[in-house]
Amino acid sequence: MNPQEDLWRHLALITAMVERAPAKTLGRTAIVKMAYLLQTVKGIPLGYDFRLYIYGPYDANVLYHLACAEALGAVKILPVPYPGGYGFEVRPGPEASAIQARAEDWLAQHQSAVDWVIREFGAFSAAELELLSTIIYVDREFARENRKVKWEELARRVRDVKPHFSELSVIDKTKLLLDKNLLISINNF
Amino acid sequence: MADWHRLYEIRCPVHGFITLNDWEWEIISHPAFQRLRRIRQLGWTDLVYPGATHTRFEHSLGVMHVATLMYEAVAQRSFEVLKSELAYTREGLDRHKTLVRLTALLHDVGHGPFSHAAEELLPTCEGGATRFQHEDYSAAIIRHQLREVIEDHPLNRNYDFRVEDITSLLEGSSQAKHALFWRELIAGQMDADRLDYLLRDSLHIGVDYGRFDWRRLLHTIEVVPGADGEAPRLGVNEGGCHAAEALILARYFMFTQVYFHKTRVAYDYHLREALAELLSGRGFPKPDADGIKDYLSWDDWRVLGLLADGRGGEHGRRLAQRDHFRLIYQTSETPTNEELAELDRVREILGNLILMEEYAEKSWYKPGSADIPVISRRGQLTKVKPLSEYSSVIAHLRPISKVMLYACREDREEINRKLTELHQRAGSEL
Repeated sequence: MNPQEDLWRHLALITAMVERAPAKTLGRTAIVKMAYLLQTVKGIPLGYDFRLYIYGPYDANVLYHLACAEALGAVKILPVPYPGGYGFEVRPGPEASAIQARAEDWLAQHQSAVDWVIREFGAFSAAELELLSTIIYVDREFARENRKVKWEELARRVRDVKPHFSELSVIDKTKLLLDKNLLISINNF
Repeated sequence: MADWHRLYEIRCPVHGFITLNDWEWEIISHPAFQRLRRIRQLGWTDLVYPGATHTRFEHSLGVMHVATLMYEAVAQRSFEVLKSELAYTREGLDRHKTLVRLTALLHDVGHGPFSHAAEELLPTCEGGATRFQHEDYSAAIIRHQLREVIEDHPLNRNYDFRVEDITSLLEGSSQAKHALFWRELIAGQMDADRLDYLLRDSLHIGVDYGRFDWRRLLHTIEVVPGADGEAPRLGVNEGGCHAAEALILARYFMFTQVYFHKTRVAYDYHLREALAELLSGRGFPKPDADGIKDYLSWDDWRVLGLLADGRGGEHGRRLAQRDHFRLIYQTSETPTNEELAELDRVREILGNLILMEEYAEKSWYKPGSADIPVISRRGQLTKVKPLSEYSSVIAHLRPISKVMLYACREDREEINRKLTELHQRAGSEL
């Protein structure tokens, strides 16, 4: 595929997520984690190489694409204060429709997946998305090793990586993903 | 009797002396690591900047050295945060310092001939959506070739490391457990790899673009609490703002002046095509136990020997005779929608005369857009802000998404004529 076309697809997808988000705002962390969910859970071939960090699955290329979308006016990135510092809020920009039109057909194919990720995950905070996406990342690691594990083992492994989350919140989010049938390595429950 | 506690010193053009213990010495003496002496850091860049003949060997030693200094600085300055957030003890930190040193030392052991230029010939992962990266080959070499030299050295009795401890940190796997925090030192916005290659490449090439006050970074780097319940990150305190700013600008300058230099980019393309020919279109083997043996047999020497024998097809010939494709059209660093529309028109009018298109997006060195968190303190009050909130230069730095079109030298006259016609037509329409 022409890399230019590939770039339009990524920019269009990010713009579509921002436009469909409740209140039309998403943070930068949320965009990275949602791109991870779309590629991993929904199988959209985005070509990102997500690797696990303490802050969850990450590929710097997602933020590169976000910055390109901003440069072309598809989105606006605004700093927002929170109690301990500053974060960023991403909103649709004046060129949002034009950029999505550049990859219209491809975006239409993945419309339901974009709606899904916003519906299921759009209301979570950045910290919650960090945890949820890490649980899915670890689940897929077990699956790649052809291992079936109990949900407690999955939660324990996640807690090993992210001790700054309470045991309760890790368990709570693991169960939530189980309820949504998004974990594939679990053999109890 | 063997002296396991002997220390070795290697002179480094960037950092002075780099000290290794007997365990690390054994690792770098292994043929899989020695191969890095035959992998140039910057591929064929010496055809543009003649000094760029340094190798992954010296860079790997440099990354280990820088990672150690960064680790020690963070562990000393942020011990209380590491203790409360990640349950570290002093002993735990000492143990993981060794783990970080080994991971940094081995992070590039999986590079193919001429470094990044070979990466597009790596096979795709299962499912085909993504390609293996050189880090996956590094991990496979550690698992299948270096296990003995790592696990069986007597100094490892103090740590009891398995190679999986290293590979999980390198690959980004949950098996690394809380050591995963240090992955930012190996592959992050302000990592030891980046710090070393900017300084080293600048030195060897003879440019000052990549230089920045890295010692100031060491004096200001610390663990910064995550925003609103997010994970803690590596950042700097306010005193490090300008050093962090200079690091980002150094990357920007090195990218625009060196890594994405028009001629260098052309040689990368010819090398990729020549390598594809030498590999008979099969690409490199997968990073598994069998594939890795074959992969390790590929280094710059082997490729140069084959090219000298006249192999490598048309692109091998172009490399040998310095007959590279010529840049005929380029956008600005951050093209506007209008420029991209013009690019489409240029593509249309030139058609098959365009032999190669290169995109900054696809470059291995492109400057990212991730921010560096900065922590400020006013008495008991602490605040974390992204660097772009402190620095208007960084806030206004735009992502580079330049596109460059290339053609044969012989076609340049015809191309110039067509481009002039296009511009005249566009001018008359205005």
